[in-house]
Amino acid sequence: MTYLVIPLVKIVVILLVLILGAAYLTFFERKILAYIQIRLGPNRVGPKGWLQAIADALKLFVKEDLTPARSEKFVFLLAPVLIIVPALLVFAVIPFGPSDIWRLTDINVALLFVLGVSSVGIYGIILGGWSSNNKYSLMGGLRSAAQLISYEVPMGFAVVTVVVMAGSLSLVRIVEVQRELGVWFFLPGIVALFVYFVCGVAETNRNPFDLPEAESELVGGFHTEYSGMKWAFFFLGEYANMIVISAMATVLFFGGWLPPFPNLLAPLWALPAVAWVPPPFWFLLKVAAFIFLYMWFRGTFPRYRFDQLMRLGWKVLLPVSLANLMVVALGVLILGGRS
Amino acid sequence: MERTHLKAFADAEEMEISFGPQHPSTHGVLRLMVKVDGERILDVKPIIGYLHRGTEKLFERETYNGCIPHTDRMDYTAAVTNNQGLVGAVERLMGITIPPRAAYLRMILAELQRLASHLVWLATHALDIGAQTPYFYCFEERDKILDLFEEYCGARLTTNCMRVGGMPFDLTPGWTDRCRAFIEQFPAKVSDWERLLTKNRIWRERTVGVGVISAADAIEWGLTGPPLRGSGVRWDIRKVFPYDRYDEVEFDVPIGTNGDTYDRYLVRMEEMRQSVRIIRQCLERLPDGPVMAKVPKIIKPPKGEVYFSVEAPKGELGYYLVSEGGDTPYRLHVRPACFINLQALPEMVRGQLVADLVAVIGTLDIVLGEIDR
Amino acid sequence: MSWWDKILAFIPLELVQGLGVTGKYLFRKKVTVQYPEQRLEPKDRFRGMFGFSEERCIVCHNCAKACPIDIIHITDHFEESVVDGKKRKKKVLDRYDIDVKRCMFCGLCEEACPTKPVAIWLTTKTYETAAYERNERLYFDKVRLQTWDGVLPFPGVKAPAEGGMPEDPKAEKKAAGGEGA
Repeated sequence: MTYLVIPLVKIVVILLVLILGAAYLTFFERKILAYIQIRLGPNRVGPKGWLQAIADALKLFVKEDLTPARSEKFVFLLAPVLIIVPALLVFAVIPFGPSDIWRLTDINVALLFVLGVSSVGIYGIILGGWSSNNKYSLMGGLRSAAQLISYEVPMGFAVVTVVVMAGSLSLVRIVEVQRELGVWFFLPGIVALFVYFVCGVAETNRNPFDLPEAESELVGGFHTEYSGMKWAFFFLGEYANMIVISAMATVLFFGGWLPPFPNLLAPLWALPAVAWVPPPFWFLLKVAAFIFLYMWFRGTFPRYRFDQLMRLGWKVLLPVSLANLMVVALGVLILGGRS
Repeated sequence: MERTHLKAFADAEEMEISFGPQHPSTHGVLRLMVKVDGERILDVKPIIGYLHRGTEKLFERETYNGCIPHTDRMDYTAAVTNNQGLVGAVERLMGITIPPRAAYLRMILAELQRLASHLVWLATHALDIGAQTPYFYCFEERDKILDLFEEYCGARLTTNCMRVGGMPFDLTPGWTDRCRAFIEQFPAKVSDWERLLTKNRIWRERTVGVGVISAADAIEWGLTGPPLRGSGVRWDIRKVFPYDRYDEVEFDVPIGTNGDTYDRYLVRMEEMRQSVRIIRQCLERLPDGPVMAKVPKIIKPPKGEVYFSVEAPKGELGYYLVSEGGDTPYRLHVRPACFINLQALPEMVRGQLVADLVAVIGTLDIVLGEIDR
Repeated sequence: MSWWDKILAFIPLELVQGLGVTGKYLFRKKVTVQYPEQRLEPKDRFRGMFGFSEERCIVCHNCAKACPIDIIHITDHFEESVVDGKKRKKKVLDRYDIDVKRCMFCGLCEEACPTKPVAIWLTTKTYETAAYERNERLYFDKVRLQTWDGVLPFPGVKAPAEGGMPEDPKAEKKAAGGEGA
């Protein structure tokens, strides 16, 4: 019975938190962008605008759901599902804290699972762009396909760097190793972190790599023809993917749920005044920092062009990540690291 | 085997995209029929006329001062320079010399308008290339300029702030101080935006070498304004045929070298600094005296023709006025800067990518109100 | 450019600089005006909705002539009256309509008005002219021009009796001179 009930409860909690979080991310993004752009942002719905996300969700629920007459109806419906399900699925293996309560499951190939599942999401974009029967959407879908495939590779190498350092594919183990070593992997793997995050921004189609949407060129790209809840799925998928990338960056490079300087300041973290802080707090704090970085990027950078994006992926990030992998592997070998 | 495969690819169906008239980055209601192969542009055909209001025909039934509000609506981001061109044409035909204070007022307002227009250009150009934030920074500054306009003439956008023979009102008390306060803080803001964009590698990759047009081609196509100067031709109506009192102030005409989008960007940024310089000198020298010359109540230019052009923010804005001696123009033709600059668009984007098309539309700084009139 | 410079150029320092600019603006005072609650006060010369004063109007038709798009419609007739034993002809206004929905607020009508302070004035500070039905709501006859809700109670609107345009020194001088005489 406990085998069934506890995971189910966890699943429901994770899903609720995630979807609510993704919805509220839109609110935070609008707020942060507004503040960067010397505006106030949404502040009308509810106190200080805090109900804006809910109002948006309600609006999307009641909006008319249009399907273009000459679209591929089934694929058109399938695409939004394909984009959001993998994004949510990844959270099955992400550890929010040290003990079993704080995670759904811990499998020993969690990293592979994450990479594998999250690359399914690309089908949602391609199929969505193709099935809309719209030239702009098709171009958006094609851009996205090329972009995601080429950025998956350097991202993989960046992740492998961490695997080399940790000697494990299990996300829990990776964090544990960071605690045992007393150093988070972002220090030895600063280049890997950079590559990982740039690729992560590209994979989630966010500025400065938001070409598949590219509002000023493709009028929304792959989701031009979508409306109502289907569009909301794309939207939620994008934000859920942002959380995934940020969470993975936290786990891989910033010690997951560990508080800052876990060994150096160990006496401090053992104090009763701070000890009650649950480990997920630190996890969420780091994730929030990454997401803020996402939004900061969006508020600052122009957009790359399609061919430049490809050049950056294949000619810069791929060699850099490969070279970095070599260097790190050599370092691990010399320092007698774990294998 | 391989060759046939390639050939099949080369014969692949070309796609025709209707770009606009309701596209977010066509700056109004421009429609482009874009023929693409994948993302590569084979040809572009601009289709205009969605905003046609028959302004030139309307001129023929208006009194000369009644024409002025109609010119506001041509290039609606630069109403002052539109007014300036029209009244200048009429004054030249009638042989009126406007009082010096009026001339300096016109220059101050026109340069403020140039700033405002370039701010709109920078805002939308950056937005097209994907940087959202400069939009709001630019519009904050532009609003301060519009506040100055509102204080002077009562309207922010469609100013209608000049009359044949001078200016309709004098400045309100304290206007010059507010104007000076504005131009003192303005160059720092320009530097801020330049820090955001000028050296930014993404911005450079998106603009360097995009939409190149050589100096010879630019002259052939009749480009004027920043698109011409970006190609390295030092041609500015304010310098070559000075009107008002532009011969009394010092300013430089910035030019580019490569004729690409990045150079045009640099030219416009520098023009903003030069405009500030002009305004500063004008404020220092602003003479006292009347703002209106002695003109008859009903303006009847003698029979004749005149062409008068001003350096509008977008390029050369000319008015060709034919008068039959009546109180309305017989014919008043406008030489719009945007319309003629737009002609070069297919030439500039052929062979480039769809994303570049957006950048080139932005760099030409077109306003459909002036193209369609 | 040496190889070291090339490697340095590879590090996106200028992107960090850009982030610095936006980061600086993140903490700046915001410029948004929360419109229905806060309003920007239009300047004194602002060309807003129309106001009209029938008793000051001399029915000269100058405003209608000056209007570039002919939206001011005036009809009048002569009325004869006997004042102090003399016959006097006086123009009386029948109709003074402004088709505001087509107005482009150029201000030429007000400029053309020979009465000082002017009979027709655009300098009310009302810019909220939106209506659900423009043909009816935005067609103003002379009664509505004088009584629409906003022409007098709206703050900042100076009725011509108080001196026309507030910063018009001529009008003030005239008003002062009038009192002296």
